Amino acid sequence: MAVGRRDGRAGQDVLRRVGEASVLILISLAGEPRHGYALIQDIKELAGVELGPGTLYGALDRLERLGLIESLPAEDRRHPYRITAPGAAALRVHLDSLERVSAAGRLRLRLSGT
Amino acid sequence: MDDTRAARLIGTVLRCYPARWRRRHGDEAAELAALLVRDGTPAGSIACSYLAGAAREWLTPLPGRRLSAAACALLVAACALGVSTVLLAPPAPARAASTSQAKAASTSQAHCRTARCQPGPAVRVAGVISSVSHDLRAIISEAGHGQPW
Repeated sequence: MAVGRRDGRAGQDVLRRVGEASVLILISLAGEPRHGYALIQDIKELAGVELGPGTLYGALDRLERLGLIESLPAEDRRHPYRITAPGAAALRVHLDSLERVSAAGRLRLRLSGT
Repeated sequence: MDDTRAARLIGTVLRCYPARWRRRHGDEAAELAALLVRDGTPAGSIACSYLAGAAREWLTPLPGRRLSAAACALLVAACALGVSTVLLAPPAPARAASTSQAKAASTSQAHCRTARCQPGPAVRVAGVISSVSHDLRAIISEAGHGQPW
C-alpha cells in the first residue's frame, strides 16, 4: 500500500507515526542505497543510535509496505534498500515539521530566559 | 559465548518468525547477526532484539488479516457475553422451560417446603461482589483514606 495512493494529500506528515527508527532509516537511505548492516553502522555514526536487528527489519518492512523504500535485487544474501520518490517527499515534509517545532522550542527558551 | 553457540541461538530465535518473513529475510538476518557478533555486539542482545521483532511480526495484523481479526474479536465478545448471561440468569425461567410445568412447579414447591432452597447463581455472584466491595471499603477506611466514594 503506497502512501501516495492512500493519502493523496500532498504535504501531510506521514512519518509522524512510524517511529524514530523508520525516520533514521529514511535519512540514512537518503544518501545512498544500503543493506541492513550498512544501515545499522550509518545510523550509529549519524545519530548515535544503535538499532537492534529486529527493530531494523520491522521498520524496513513497514516502510516498504508504505511505498517509502524499495528493495533492490539481492547482492549475495543481502538486500540493499533504496528510498523512493514518495519516501523522499515524506522525509522532506517530516524534517520541515521537525524544524518548525525545533525553532518554536528555541524561541520559547530564549524568551523565557531559562 | 563462542560463535557456534551464538549462531545456534540466533538460528533458534529466527525460527520464531513467521515463514513468509524467514523466506524473505532469514538468510540476510542470520548473516547480519554474524557480522554484529563479530563487531562485539553480545549475541544475547541480538537474540532479544530478534525475539521482540518476531513477537511484533506475529501481533501486527497484515492488511488481509484485519477482517478475520475483527471477526475473531466479535466471536470472543459474543462468547464472553453468553457466559456472563448464563452466570447472571435467574434460575426460575430455565425450570419454566420444562414441558411438564405444573408438575415441575408443584415438585419444586414441595422441595422448597421440605428443604431450604439454595440461592441461584445470580444471587451468589451478587453476594460475592457485595462482600468484596465491603472488604475493600474496610481496608481503605483502616488505611486512613475513608473518603466517600
